[in-house]
Amino acid sequence: MSEQTVDQEYIHVPILVDVPYRFDAGKYMTRFLVELRDNEKIYGIKCPSCKRVMIPPRIVCARCHVKCDEWVELSNEGTLEAFTIMYFPMTDPTTGKPHDPPFSYGSVKLDGCDAPIDHMLNIEPDMSKIKVGMRFRVKFRPREERRGDLADIEYFDPIE
Amino acid sequence: MTDRVAIVAAAKTGFSPSRSDANYSELAYEVIEKVLTETGLTIGDDIDNSISCSHDIWDGQTISNIGITDVIGGHLRNEEKMAMDGSTAVYYGTIAILSGEYNLTLLLAHTKMSQTNRNIVNNDAFEPIFSRKLGLDYTSAGALQATRYMHVHGIQRDQVAKVAVKNLGNASRNETAHNFGFYSVEDIIESPVLATPITQKEMAPDTDGAVAMILASEKAAKKITKNPVWVNGIGSSYDAHYLGDRDLAMSRALEQAAGRAYAMAGIKNPVKDVDVFEVGEEFAHQELMWYEGLGLCEAGKGGELIDSGRTLFEGDIPVNPSGGLLGGVPANVAGLHSVAEAFLQLRGEAGRRQVKDAGVAVVQGQSGHCGQHHCVVVLGRD
Repeated sequence: MSEQTVDQEYIHVPILVDVPYRFDAGKYMTRFLVELRDNEKIYGIKCPSCKRVMIPPRIVCARCHVKCDEWVELSNEGTLEAFTIMYFPMTDPTTGKPHDPPFSYGSVKLDGCDAPIDHMLNIEPDMSKIKVGMRFRVKFRPREERRGDLADIEYFDPIE
Repeated sequence: MTDRVAIVAAAKTGFSPSRSDANYSELAYEVIEKVLTETGLTIGDDIDNSISCSHDIWDGQTISNIGITDVIGGHLRNEEKMAMDGSTAVYYGTIAILSGEYNLTLLLAHTKMSQTNRNIVNNDAFEPIFSRKLGLDYTSAGALQATRYMHVHGIQRDQVAKVAVKNLGNASRNETAHNFGFYSVEDIIESPVLATPITQKEMAPDTDGAVAMILASEKAAKKITKNPVWVNGIGSSYDAHYLGDRDLAMSRALEQAAGRAYAMAGIKNPVKDVDVFEVGEEFAHQELMWYEGLGLCEAGKGGELIDSGRTLFEGDIPVNPSGGLLGGVPANVAGLHSVAEAFLQLRGEAGRRQVKDAGVAVVQGQSGHCGQHHCVVVLGRD
């Protein structure tokens, strides 16, 4: 019944229009991005109830359902919690260009924060050279290149 | 099992063409905080179900509720998202409470139309192979609907424009509306044409905002407020997706949805039994069509009804005293806003747009091009 014959034609219709967006960062993330861009500082937000320090900063602690308003400056150094070496060319949505594989992504928990931040690792993409628990430091882009988005962090550098 | 479901609180953000000061979560929390504070309820101890209404392509996020689960109380617990008009959130929330599974349900609808392109988002709502290539969107499809509707029933141009005159005037009494003014029929017809016959003043404008609401079982409602508003009837119905499969001059799906909601609420004659209507007119001509679908007049007589003045704020069957969608309400949020407006009317809290002695209200929400889906909610006081 469902056998396909070799001479059966099936048509596929391409649609190339993309949906453009311009996302509003809002109050909390605007402050975070301004500190990042102008002062090379990374801020977390502390829940007044459970005291955990969250990144990205946000209006409500999901666990306690209370409003957060205590800003905490985080260290530029932290510990690698997880990583992967990427072998396919992930597209950077802000540039539309792919990252060249292989490269490594990592989740680094900055000192003073209870959650990691995910970014590129400036390290040879070799499983024998990257370990969970390694220490990394934030590398900011030069001031003139910083635009007020997460790419203002260029990558994490391993601390020798 | 609970016998009845009530609305115990509702709040809306200020609506504007761009709320660039707030991201989705901040916009949502603005109204969630209000309804929780007003009722004294908390997410942790009281609210046991959350339903949000938003749209992936409008939001630019696959599964658009995942960005707001923290503010709506969906962390490590249940949260349901629906992607149709906000009135449908009331429909599902009511059913969930009637099932006996939940007691107190937080509803939220949010959209920021400013962040993307309405034509492209709405073009994506069309089936891709046969319909999307033309670049059809809700406005161009709505224009086909308007032309067909006007042709079949002999509806006059000025009768359509009168809907905009009425609603933009009504919106001047609604503190959250951003599109309002006192215009003549000529002002409406002479505003820039978007797709004949629809002009700019006859289309709901791009808007950012959110609405939150709390639904309660009868037992819970009576503990929370002395002034609950009861959900007495709900109905929902889909028409065909392809425009060619529909009779664009008629509102068959709305007739079905209204029939179900009226039967549940015991409404026999909506003209006599209902005091106020809030409907989802994305375009002016649709309000005339929705009159017909809601049974306020016979099919094809929407033009005569607006001529009669009975649907004016001062009339005996006021429709859209809030100014409706033309006053500026975001897509998706629309129907929840209409229910919130009806809630205020029935509580006597509608301020300068208060309809005298409003005891029964009917809300109609719609989604999809040319109103493919309709949801009708009948609300009443004790």
